[in-house]
Amino acid sequence: MAAEASAGAKAPAVPPMTRREFLYYIWAASMALLMAETGGATLWFAYPRFKAGTFGGIFELDIGEVPAPDSDPQPYDAGRFWLVNLGDQNAGDERLQQYVSGEPYANQPKGVKALYKICVHLGCIYKWVPTNDRFECPCHGSKYLPTGVRIGGPARRNLDVFVIEAVDVNGNVITRTEATLNGMEGTAIDITGAAKLRINTGRRISGAPNSVPGVK
Amino acid sequence: MAVFKPHFPFLNDIKNKGLMPAVLYKINESVERLTAGLDIEDIRSVLRGDPPPRPNPRVKPHADGFWFHMRPTYYHNLTAGLYPSFRLGWLSTYFFAFETITGLILMLFYTPSPLVAYENMLNLLGNVPFGRLMRDLHKLGAEVMVWVVFLHMIRTFITGNYKKPRQFTWFTGVVLLLVTLILSFSGYLLPWDQLSLWAVTIGASMAEAIQPQAVGDIANLLLRGGPQFNEWGLLRWYLGHVLLLPLVGFIFLGVHYYKVVIHGHSLPPESEPVGEDTAKRVPTDQRTYFMPDVLTRELFYVSVTTFLLVASTVFWYHAPLEPHAEYLITPLHTTAPWYFLWLQGMLKVGDKFLWGVILPGAIFNGLMILPYLEVGPSRRYGDRRVGLTVGALVLIVLAILSYMGTPHYAVSSSPDQEVVAELLPQTEPGPLRTANWAELTPGTYTAAEWESAPTETLKKLLHTYEEEMVRAADNPTCRAAGNCLVDGEGLMIVEDWQEGLKKITFRVTWGEAPEDFCLPGAQNEFCQTAYFHRDSNYGQGE
Repeated sequence: MAAEASAGAKAPAVPPMTRREFLYYIWAASMALLMAETGGATLWFAYPRFKAGTFGGIFELDIGEVPAPDSDPQPYDAGRFWLVNLGDQNAGDERLQQYVSGEPYANQPKGVKALYKICVHLGCIYKWVPTNDRFECPCHGSKYLPTGVRIGGPARRNLDVFVIEAVDVNGNVITRTEATLNGMEGTAIDITGAAKLRINTGRRISGAPNSVPGVK
Repeated sequence: MAVFKPHFPFLNDIKNKGLMPAVLYKINESVERLTAGLDIEDIRSVLRGDPPPRPNPRVKPHADGFWFHMRPTYYHNLTAGLYPSFRLGWLSTYFFAFETITGLILMLFYTPSPLVAYENMLNLLGNVPFGRLMRDLHKLGAEVMVWVVFLHMIRTFITGNYKKPRQFTWFTGVVLLLVTLILSFSGYLLPWDQLSLWAVTIGASMAEAIQPQAVGDIANLLLRGGPQFNEWGLLRWYLGHVLLLPLVGFIFLGVHYYKVVIHGHSLPPESEPVGEDTAKRVPTDQRTYFMPDVLTRELFYVSVTTFLLVASTVFWYHAPLEPHAEYLITPLHTTAPWYFLWLQGMLKVGDKFLWGVILPGAIFNGLMILPYLEVGPSRRYGDRRVGLTVGALVLIVLAILSYMGTPHYAVSSSPDQEVVAELLPQTEPGPLRTANWAELTPGTYTAAEWESAPTETLKKLLHTYEEEMVRAADNPTCRAAGNCLVDGEGLMIVEDWQEGLKKITFRVTWGEAPEDFCLPGAQNEFCQTAYFHRDSNYGQGE
């Protein structure tokens, strides 16, 4: 009792919390919670309603429409992809050694890929520049090889690809684009014996991370 | 007792004083009520430049009236002139009002839908009386407002006004800077042209770069209204532009200016003792009264500004309008608006999360808390050598980054395409589309033989063409990239295509050029075609 009295005399008297004060805090906390919930509900309300991949669907191409190996990439605007047919020249592109190094890039697979037309940096449409034999993005200057491998600029991964299924005359799927590199990059597919290609723009595989300093 | 008793003191006045004196008295009284304290004689005294009588009736509107109560009754003589404030805060407020008014007028002729937004622009340009003037004024006003707000901040930094007790005023000022920038940027999407679509695509993709990815994805979808920009996205940015952002700006402008008045207009740094703030203690012999001196100066300032804006839009400035938005083509040389070029420059450097989210975020947050970190007591220039040097360095870095944001840095395409882009740019009308249509005589011309072209217009175009070809043949960039145009030849082919329509083809070849012209997939050849109509008016009448 004596200790309490002397402590009370020294420190400025702070009255203990009353029930009224406590209830005000509870009330304020519940108001804060309500505001947070309202904020969350507003964001939820504002979240757009859409079906993923509505632009796409599945595109069927006759094998005759596929460009010859190592020819210029073919654009398919409706499906928003470039079809590339990678031959010896692309697979052994010396720029892979020059600007990109490391095991995954030493030998690029040969075959067909459907590259998503949108730059993986900030969403612009990169374009094919035949003179420089590469894709270039006009916004911030990301550069990619026909294989989809990034060789320069601020992008930090290779181009995304759509899943392609190669179908024979009987309608059986011979081969399809698989995710490699721990699920981070789509393979190029061998189209030998195929009659048709089915490009599924609803299924996209992200390019593998790739951030080595590259070409200007 | 009468239920209704008419009561007209004015009639009694007429009876007592006579008609004219009573009417004059009534007018005088009405003026005094409208001005909240100044009658006709007081106003005339103001206009004559008489010294204020005592008691000074010119302070009454500050006490009784709504508009004047927001303004100080008097300024210190040292702050009433152009230095040290340059009235940039007042000018920013003026531009806020100016943009609101021109924006409201434009809203009358605008529908936020991708189906008609671009058509609305054409309607404004060609059909609505003063439509183009309003659009040009709104756009020019926005650009100048960004400058004015930016200079206002620079000035405040240089004179050290962010220091105690004005830290929070500075904080709200940074918020207003952000609001100004985002307002200006959000207006970009509304015309639904190529500039709109790609500027805002990049903006939303930067939000997508936020980590963790789930947050970035949600932010991106909220901004775009869907996986890609669509009618919902346009509506969102429209509402942000005309409603949400102006509202935030209005609220912060209120807080900002309240703080300005509360703390008083800061004196020039050299005219008060170090560490003291004497703005609120103005000696009676140092006062410049708001009425009439400051008021008339402010009105003069905005009158001249308005005149310059209108004159500029009449004689040379026109808000750009690029081709209709196209999801599948990003134009070559797409750039951010000039006030975000530094950001575009940073984005070219490296990782988008670091350079596009963290660093810009750190810059603006750093600006906000600057006055709480930099607490040196002295505002004098001589005592702040380090701070002012850092400020100057930041400006230099901004300038360098802005250069890196232009197409000259890291995004140059191949030389053949760059040559044609000089004549037929994808982000502005350019030399061909603004040339005299009638003087584009059909025929095939070689750039190198520009002097033998039949008309002046063709000579000029071909001369530019030839200069670009020469440059593409050898310059440091192409030497580094190893893609110089060796043995290049530039052709320009003009054909009559339809009544009033010409087809113009630019064909650049090098090395072993193909025999046939412009076949798909040809090697050593680049072709670009444009159709040019007699009435297309790309130069907007200039």
